[in-house]
Amino acid sequence: MLEIRDLRSAYGRIEVLHGLDLDVQRNEIVCLIGGNGAGKTTLLRAISGVQPVTGGSITFEGQDITGLPAEKRVALGIAQVPEGRQIFGGLTVEDNLNLGGWLNGGGTQKERDDIYALFPILHEKRALQAGGLSGGQQQMLAIGRALMSRPRLLLLDEPSMGLAPVLVEQVFGVIENLQQRGITILLVEQNAAAALAKSNRGFVIETGDITHSGASSDLIGDPKLREAYLGQ
Amino acid sequence: MPELLQFAFSGLTVGAVYALVALGFTLIYNASDVVNFAQGEFVMLGGMATVFLHLAGVPLPMAAALAILITVGVGLALYAFAIDPARGSSAVTIIIITIGASIFLRGVAQVVFDKRFHALPHWFGSDPIRIGGAAILPQSLVVLFGAGLIVALIFLIIDRTLLGRAILATAANRLAARLVGIPVRKIVALSFALSAAIGAVAGILVTPITLTSYDVGTLLALKGFAAAMLGGMGSAVGAVVGGLLLGLAESFGAGLISSKYKDAIAFLIILGVLFVRPQGLFGKRSVERV
Repeated sequence: MLEIRDLRSAYGRIEVLHGLDLDVQRNEIVCLIGGNGAGKTTLLRAISGVQPVTGGSITFEGQDITGLPAEKRVALGIAQVPEGRQIFGGLTVEDNLNLGGWLNGGGTQKERDDIYALFPILHEKRALQAGGLSGGQQQMLAIGRALMSRPRLLLLDEPSMGLAPVLVEQVFGVIENLQQRGITILLVEQNAAAALAKSNRGFVIETGDITHSGASSDLIGDPKLREAYLGQ
Repeated sequence: MPELLQFAFSGLTVGAVYALVALGFTLIYNASDVVNFAQGEFVMLGGMATVFLHLAGVPLPMAAALAILITVGVGLALYAFAIDPARGSSAVTIIIITIGASIFLRGVAQVVFDKRFHALPHWFGSDPIRIGGAAILPQSLVVLFGAGLIVALIFLIIDRTLLGRAILATAANRLAARLVGIPVRKIVALSFALSAAIGAVAGILVTPITLTSYDVGTLLALKGFAAAMLGGMGSAVGAVVGGLLLGLAESFGAGLISSKYKDAIAFLIILGVLFVRPQGLFGKRSVERV
């Protein structure tokens, strides 16, 4: 579904992705783990078209999207839940969802109801300013907003960051639910244990290069990775 | 007593124009963080283009409509050729670009039009209406009514449409706006077009009263900026209230103290706001938990 070949990206003169390869098959949950500054967020932003690439290619469902503007990629079915949620704090919860459906004229009531069924708390708070939500609720809103664009590939950047363990569990539950609905997921996580436990395959990124990849169950068993990322 | 009423009426008329200029500032500032000091030139272009099209034989309503279109074109060109290529530069750089654009537009206007003052006919004659001993030009009412209509329209767009929400979203978080598929550059271009249209309408409405020439934009931009600062940069309500307050302050200041200091009042207000309440009257203090 998604094929990334020899992708390079730089901030100014400093290259942060050094020609990496990654692929995601339809209806998989793929996780990308790695430390701070390894290039995880940069990679997701490059896939979404909000981070310039300096070389390589990104192909989505057979179409080369490397040079496509961000809004065209959303239209093709790539949505992102960005790091730090990035909700529109000054607007209401419902406005945030409507803007998620921007390319579909704001989305339909049924689509909003689907999101509210997934996250009932958002329905309760739909008329309130999104900036006043708790961290966990903002994360749900960010996921709901991304779903409003009717994605087939959902990129999630550190969805568990800063959340209490019970909420982390809930977020991962939602991710599995989305997979059952046929949405393919590329998940970036620092919480490597949880991410590997819930995903089909995993990639490990270190300073802009993929160093390991394979079935998540194999990666969990890899002694080197256990030491580096699982603290065991 | 009649004097005070007179001051109030003329203050509100001028204030309505300041309010429109301030609203133009606010729209662009909100969508792009750019303070566009060429805003006053939009007002000048609206008035001057109407005058010259009318002189060339175009009927007045048609001339006004064309003038608005021309000004919108200039606004879009300003964005496409001066602001957009510099995106990513610091705010100061872009502000200097808009000051340059303002000087450029004034220069071009001097060549294309001329350096004299021009008037437009009053819409409903120039016989003043007497209310409580004060004399009001019918055109003042046109200015107030027209400004009110534009303000209402802008509020309706921002408050009630998805497009308006998208403008606010672009202002609040450009990255997130791009990630949901909002074409942020088009949104910013649209804010320049809207601001240009508002400025042009202000120029057309007020020219019968104040006259216009190639260089009326400079002072209007400064006054509009003062109004926007007073109301709180980025607040549309603030822009309107700030504009009206500034107009009233000028009018009463000129009437009660001395008309020599009229133009100084705007600058005193800028200083006062910066010292006492830098966020302005309606400045944003949004709640955001992290």
